[in-house]
Amino acid sequence: MKKQFRFAWSAGVTFGIVTIFLFLIGFTSTSGDLLADLFGNKNAASFLGLTPQMVNMLIFLALVGLWAGSYGSRKMKGQTEDPWAPALVGGLIAGLVHGILVGLLALLVGILNLHHLPINMYLAALLPPVITMFLLGGSPIQGAIFYLVFFTLTGFLGGLLSRGVGRGSWRGRASGNWKNTWDGFNQKPLIKQVRGNPASRYVVYGVLLVLLFLVPLVAGQYWNYTIGTIFIYVLLGLGLNIVVGLAGLLDLGYVAFFAIGAYTMALLTAPAPQHIMWSFWIALPIGVVLAALTGLLLGAPVLRLRGDYLAIVTLGFGEIIRLLSTSDAMTSFSGGPKGVPSIGGPIIFGHPFNSGADYVWLIFLAAILIIFVTNRLQNSRVGRAWEAMREDETVSRAMGINTLTQKLMAFAIGAAFAGLGGALFASRNQFTGPEDFTFMVSVNVVAVVIVGGMGSIPGVIAGALVLKGLPEVLRELQDYRVLVFGALLVVMMLWRPAGIIPSSRRKMEVEVEKDTGVTEPPKEGGEK
Amino acid sequence: MPSAKSPTRRVSTYKIVQAVLGILFAGYFLWRLYVVFIGNPAYGPDTWARFIISGIVLGSVYALIAIGYTLVYGILRMINFAHGDIMMLGAFGGYFVFEAFKAIPAPTLSDPKLTFLDANPILSVLAAFIVGAAIAAVGGYFLEKIAYRPLRNAPRLVPLISAIGASIFLENAAQLLFGTQRRDYSNPVVLTRGNGWNIPIGGTTVILPYTGVLTVTVSVLLMVGLYMLVMRTRLGRSMRAVAENKQVAALMGIDVDGVISRTFIISGALAGAGGVMWGIHLGLVYYYVGFLPGIKAFTAAVLGGIGSVPGAMLGGMFLGLVESLGPGILGMSYQLADVIAFGILVLVLIFRPTGIVGEVLTEEKV
Repeated sequence: MKKQFRFAWSAGVTFGIVTIFLFLIGFTSTSGDLLADLFGNKNAASFLGLTPQMVNMLIFLALVGLWAGSYGSRKMKGQTEDPWAPALVGGLIAGLVHGILVGLLALLVGILNLHHLPINMYLAALLPPVITMFLLGGSPIQGAIFYLVFFTLTGFLGGLLSRGVGRGSWRGRASGNWKNTWDGFNQKPLIKQVRGNPASRYVVYGVLLVLLFLVPLVAGQYWNYTIGTIFIYVLLGLGLNIVVGLAGLLDLGYVAFFAIGAYTMALLTAPAPQHIMWSFWIALPIGVVLAALTGLLLGAPVLRLRGDYLAIVTLGFGEIIRLLSTSDAMTSFSGGPKGVPSIGGPIIFGHPFNSGADYVWLIFLAAILIIFVTNRLQNSRVGRAWEAMREDETVSRAMGINTLTQKLMAFAIGAAFAGLGGALFASRNQFTGPEDFTFMVSVNVVAVVIVGGMGSIPGVIAGALVLKGLPEVLRELQDYRVLVFGALLVVMMLWRPAGIIPSSRRKMEVEVEKDTGVTEPPKEGGEK
Repeated sequence: MPSAKSPTRRVSTYKIVQAVLGILFAGYFLWRLYVVFIGNPAYGPDTWARFIISGIVLGSVYALIAIGYTLVYGILRMINFAHGDIMMLGAFGGYFVFEAFKAIPAPTLSDPKLTFLDANPILSVLAAFIVGAAIAAVGGYFLEKIAYRPLRNAPRLVPLISAIGASIFLENAAQLLFGTQRRDYSNPVVLTRGNGWNIPIGGTTVILPYTGVLTVTVSVLLMVGLYMLVMRTRLGRSMRAVAENKQVAALMGIDVDGVISRTFIISGALAGAGGVMWGIHLGLVYYYVGFLPGIKAFTAAVLGGIGSVPGAMLGGMFLGLVESLGPGILGMSYQLADVIAFGILVLVLIFRPTGIVGEVLTEEKV
């Protein structure tokens, strides 16, 4: 019993610290705005003298409190004869500890705010209105007592809920049902026939293509820009997917190749520093080839290194490129910190690209081309060699794979894709500068690949849509985007290292690899 | 058998390429040395003295951080990518101590506006170091517990990605908590940046800053302490045993998880102290302050031979000197000092991944 109490206590502490952290980064108040936006109850009746934002914030905090209670009572189940008491005790303890911690916080910031101390000079998110909102307009003592009671109650309710729902079995039952339905659906003769027929796949592709064609016409200027950016990240993600996902080489300086593609396009078509002003269609392949060549040049000496050294060397290379592009030494050559303005755009049959929709179509076209190429590569001899190399380099060498050549090829092809993405990016923005090529770009692309699923094409597309698209939809989350990227990388590695849509081959491996801590096999039914 | 021959031939071409490139680099370097010192001296001896002073101070900070990389790498064979951000936590810890002490008034008869910070500089600096190191140590402990421990037996790429994620998380958490602005470290008046002893060199005087002397002293003391800890104590012995072989160490009755936790605490504390030094000597803290020193300290650790503690100290000093002397010798602008550091990282990893100290590593380690 002591162990269970301790677990509930530490669950309370953990949730307390998390809630305090969320408050200190200003997320509790943001969550109010976010929920108001999502469910449209901005004009909700303000009862008990609370503003709608406060109500929404309390809804969010109540969810956290419920979770804390149900988590805290987890170890309690099945420990005693009485099925109710332990869960309630667990939930209550966790809730109480949670409430004490948050109550103390409320008291502290409330008192500091009362004396008009400049808290936000040190903790940037804690502006006076935020604190007032957190205290629900009351005094510090009232706020502290309120949160103590609030979290104790929600913790208690959480314990009650977890008893009623039965955590593990509930989840298992739900996914089991879903899988059965899906399997049953697939067993129906008509469905089987349609699914078995290769033509049906092309129909689906055709519909998707038509939809893709229509999207830019419907979307406005802003959304066309966003969609373009998302699909440039699809390009980059697919390129890095070859390097990281298939060949298993972690490249943290991927932005360097993106920069080379962009700068090639910029310098060859813009009038400013170089005065070359070639056509877009000449500059594009040159950018791609240059990026691939740089990949080869960098890869040749570096690819002999083992995994984590490679990551750091590529990171160093990416930083070198960025530092060079910012420095005064390169100003006369590539514009330096000011960047390169008025980059040329493509002209097809005398029709210059000037609207956002034109570029979106072009980027779609490039993405489809890359998806096709990646798909063919992955199923080719080369692709299988990459995956063999990723799994065990020594064995793959014994099987007759020239690992150095294969690595170089993966590196060069990945770099070429990044070059293509960079060239399109520069041309679309009509401007490029060192700010476009920070380490954060590499991190974004790595996150897209890892979260989506290493080695899986639909995974990478889904990753780009989720990581680049979702923050655009939920504007309130913009500030927290990168924070969530970081947390997601850790969480994905802990719980689902194969990504949200794992590749089919990877899926099989993960099911075999019990020692990686992956216990739950992915449950996408109906895939071959 | 041609197929059996080809691998050996490939290796030898690589060696030749290495040798040629090495000779070219060495030649260029010697030529630059000749130009700078004899042919066309650009700087007088006083400027060189200034470069050397700043190099040694920077190097001692790098060395402290590099030890953290080396300790963790020696035991887990993984690069603790978030180590630079642990240093950032320490720097913020020291910053808040100084700010808090500055807010406490300690008026005397002669100076009614005196603050606690200026009245007790030794105590303040000591408190800053202790708090900074403690915060960073706690950060290191939880970093290992949350992000690395569950992945102990996972394939190599997995903990590395987790480490990168943790690093990004820490940076952005600090940005959201403390804001984006760069903050001035408010040192005690005695330790005002730029003040120091004047040393006459070559007709002019060169300032030997107090903050620099403090940094180097504390750093050397901590390094000696760490070396004693690793070599003389029971914990140090178990650390070395775990680094050698985890399974056998566990069989000998060593609590492997505990030793790993303590390693992260120690390396975090060193990085935190390094962060406070960074703040006191260079004066700026912000959420991204750990990124570059982190990478450079990693370079230093690799340079000295990763896994070796004396190597990390040597590598740190060397890197600090290279960074401050390099642009002058190679005739490049100071904006490119970081390029030199990264260039050295790339070159060392390509030509001599075992580092200066050059422990012969097995296939598994390299």
